[in-house]
Amino acid sequence: MAKSFDVVVVGSGPGGYVAAIRAAQLGLSVAAVEDDRPGGVCLNWGCIPTKALLRNAEVVHLVEHAERFGIKVDNVRADYAEAIKRSRGVADRMAKGVEFLFRKNKITLFPGTGTLTSKTSVEVKGASGTETLEARAIILATGSEPRSLPGVTIDEKTVISSNGAVRNEGRPASLVVIGAGAVGMEFADVYAAYGTRVTVLEALDRVLPVEDAEASALVARLFGRRGITIKTGVKVSAVEVGGPGAVVETGEGRIEAEQVLMAVGRGARTAGIGLEGLGIELERGFVKVSPTMETSVKGVYSIGDMAGAPLLAHKAMAEGVVAAEAIAGRTPRPLDYTNVPSCTYCRPQVASIGFSEAKARDNGREIMVGKFPFTASGKAVALGETDGFVKVVADKASGEILGVHIVGPEATEIIHEFAVGRTLEATVEEIVHTIHAHPTLSEAALEATLAALGQAIHV
Amino acid sequence: MAVSRVVMPKLSEQMETGKIIKWLKQEGDRVQSGDILAEVETDKADVEMEAFGSGVLRKILVAAGSQAPVGALIGVIGEPDDDIASVVSQAGAGGPAPAAPAAAPAAAAPTEMASRPAAVPPQPRGEDHAARTPAPAAGPTAPARAAAVETAPAARPAPPTEPPGRVKASPLARKIAAQSGVDLRLVQGSGPGGRVVRRDVEAVSTGAGRPAAVAAVAAGAEFEDRPLSQMRAAIAKRMPLSKAPVPHFYVSSDVAMDRGWALREELNGLQGQPKISVNDLVVRACALALLQHPGVNASFQGESIRVFHRAHIGIAVALEDGLITPVLRDAHAKSLGQIATEARDLAERARQRKLRAPEMSGATFSISNLGMFEVTEFSAIINPPEGAILAVGTVRTTPVVTDTGVGVGRRMMLTLSCDHRVMDGAMGARFLQDVKQLLEEPLRLLV
Repeated sequence: MAKSFDVVVVGSGPGGYVAAIRAAQLGLSVAAVEDDRPGGVCLNWGCIPTKALLRNAEVVHLVEHAERFGIKVDNVRADYAEAIKRSRGVADRMAKGVEFLFRKNKITLFPGTGTLTSKTSVEVKGASGTETLEARAIILATGSEPRSLPGVTIDEKTVISSNGAVRNEGRPASLVVIGAGAVGMEFADVYAAYGTRVTVLEALDRVLPVEDAEASALVARLFGRRGITIKTGVKVSAVEVGGPGAVVETGEGRIEAEQVLMAVGRGARTAGIGLEGLGIELERGFVKVSPTMETSVKGVYSIGDMAGAPLLAHKAMAEGVVAAEAIAGRTPRPLDYTNVPSCTYCRPQVASIGFSEAKARDNGREIMVGKFPFTASGKAVALGETDGFVKVVADKASGEILGVHIVGPEATEIIHEFAVGRTLEATVEEIVHTIHAHPTLSEAALEATLAALGQAIHV
Repeated sequence: MAVSRVVMPKLSEQMETGKIIKWLKQEGDRVQSGDILAEVETDKADVEMEAFGSGVLRKILVAAGSQAPVGALIGVIGEPDDDIASVVSQAGAGGPAPAAPAAAPAAAAPTEMASRPAAVPPQPRGEDHAARTPAPAAGPTAPARAAAVETAPAARPAPPTEPPGRVKASPLARKIAAQSGVDLRLVQGSGPGGRVVRRDVEAVSTGAGRPAAVAAVAAGAEFEDRPLSQMRAAIAKRMPLSKAPVPHFYVSSDVAMDRGWALREELNGLQGQPKISVNDLVVRACALALLQHPGVNASFQGESIRVFHRAHIGIAVALEDGLITPVLRDAHAKSLGQIATEARDLAERARQRKLRAPEMSGATFSISNLGMFEVTEFSAIINPPEGAILAVGTVRTTPVVTDTGVGVGRRMMLTLSCDHRVMDGAMGARFLQDVKQLLEEPLRLLV
């Protein structure tokens, strides 16, 4: 006898678990199917454990530079295995949090692999056998997995992905990171802080290629100053495993390293979940969805990484809410995909929203640009974190905030002022009429906006 | 706080009864000025009935689905501890409630109003000129509006005019609307709670004038329901907002056009000169007169009157399914020839719907000319926030009294509609007198 629910959510990453909880809040009976721990990649192997590692890297950096604060610290020993252990502890705690939230919201968790057998049923293969769940609506949220380069196998020992990097307690003496996106740059930061010789290779012409060119340039310079080798415009033709590690073949020669971290991107997990059987349409490898996250098959929804770019946990969460509300018969507001903040948590942090300056110009907008360096921020100087800036790109005629780019301390927190502003369709005028507390890092947001209007006070 | 009587509003001249479609506020609900109390169906349209006063909707006397005669008590607003028994008991009569203490102007509803319809049914009208509505007495009376709530005697009188309703709109939507000349009051908001956001404004500023869908008409049917074109819908929505809240008064003058006509013929006989129309003469005359009478070239701003130093003149152009008013900028600084050339270009592009947004906004004064239809005279509805509009009739030949007897002359009727909040009768009259003089001594238009 099949168990029956209003909603079955396949995958309990940030998209799936939020969808499940929201659906339960709306009075629906909900089951979640998960082949790993609840919380998905984000919580167990991605966002959260890497943030723990980055915090370790930051502490290492602070201790090493404690003399700048007049603090003498001798015999510093930073044990990488301990960093990984702490990171695992953080992930465990958060995964338990999701389990708690499931119990609290009376969501039934089915451990196992879920496969669609019809548009109203999911077969779960678990350790204790197979069972079928019937559902009025199904939300697919199976996420994504690291991609590799053609012909390169990720063995998670010598050639690792982020999955291996968050688990491996051993730290290589040397590492080549292939791909200078958020994942590559964050791990480069962590390993370098613990003493690994890191080389970052990027095929495009700059690191963090999705960010504003000025942000990329500054981060590359600061990484370089810390001894991280950055090579952009470099195509990797092969990775050969052997000897003490691996050899990376590039157009500019061979680079040897103990390990290679493959950070060239992620691909949707769409195989083996029964999409083909139901004729659920894909588009460029991602599931095609409507603004309410419904697939080409009525009653089957898809959210998160598998449903398309940007592959970000917060975008998945927001989509989970939309899908759950649509299923509950509400009329959710579709996501504004132009207003998703993008955050990289390396040091200094990088955060952005909206158009880069170049993109804004390409769109033919007459723009005004304001930039404020953290060297001019009292709070940043007091913190001893003066690398970076806030840059505001606005429409000249209307004052619309077209894009904001932040490099620097707590950039990923400051960005939300502009996210809220853009949601409310605030213009530069509303930002500059908002009193910002002094001294704060957020003052830089005010000053950069003033600078766009030619009115900055502190530069 | 006083007890307020909610009465069935008179929403058109013909309206005798109205049906409550539904109450949007229930007994016990607190209502704020501006809240929609109920939807009322009249013979012409479904209308939202808005509350003016604030308090608690204490009693609903006419249930949804039921009819009530105009003026009948249909509900009571008061504070929870107010005694409403005496007010409610009046409802038993079923007929119109006794008139409010202040005598109402004949055609209009009582002057002391605590509520207004959020929209009134479109009046039957021609291009942009109303079939002359029964004129409210030209004087400092309140504008003719339907009243839904009469304030009980003890209450403070409601202000005779109220500030224009606040539109919920994002800052960006406001800026784009201001730049593209979109009237936010006419925009349907799609944001949370009906907030007008950028895309709503952009949809209006780029979508105006989309052709109407043609409804299938069964052969022999007695009538057909034609869907509103976007332009028609905008006009229908805008006109009540133009007419009802703006207290219009009208001044008319018959202008001798003999010399103006002759001058025009002479000018048009010149080689290589743009053809001058009568309307071009009127535009030029108005532009010059507006500089002399800035009080007419002005706009009511709630707390102040904005007086413009430049004359941007809107010229109404009739289209098949509506009208549009392109703006001839800085008309005061342009020669007759320039005006003729520009006006023709604007009208031409208006008909082709090729006007750019800035060309449709920013007028400080408008002119509507129906002379080509041999209309003798008419009065036009002011296009807020402008303060006045001039309605121009045809140039007709008519017997005129001269010094020596009776002769034949060319005459043209001008009727100026004025916003009484901005100006008084004499100001409008003096302006019109100057326009008349400029047209009757047309060489002045050339210098």
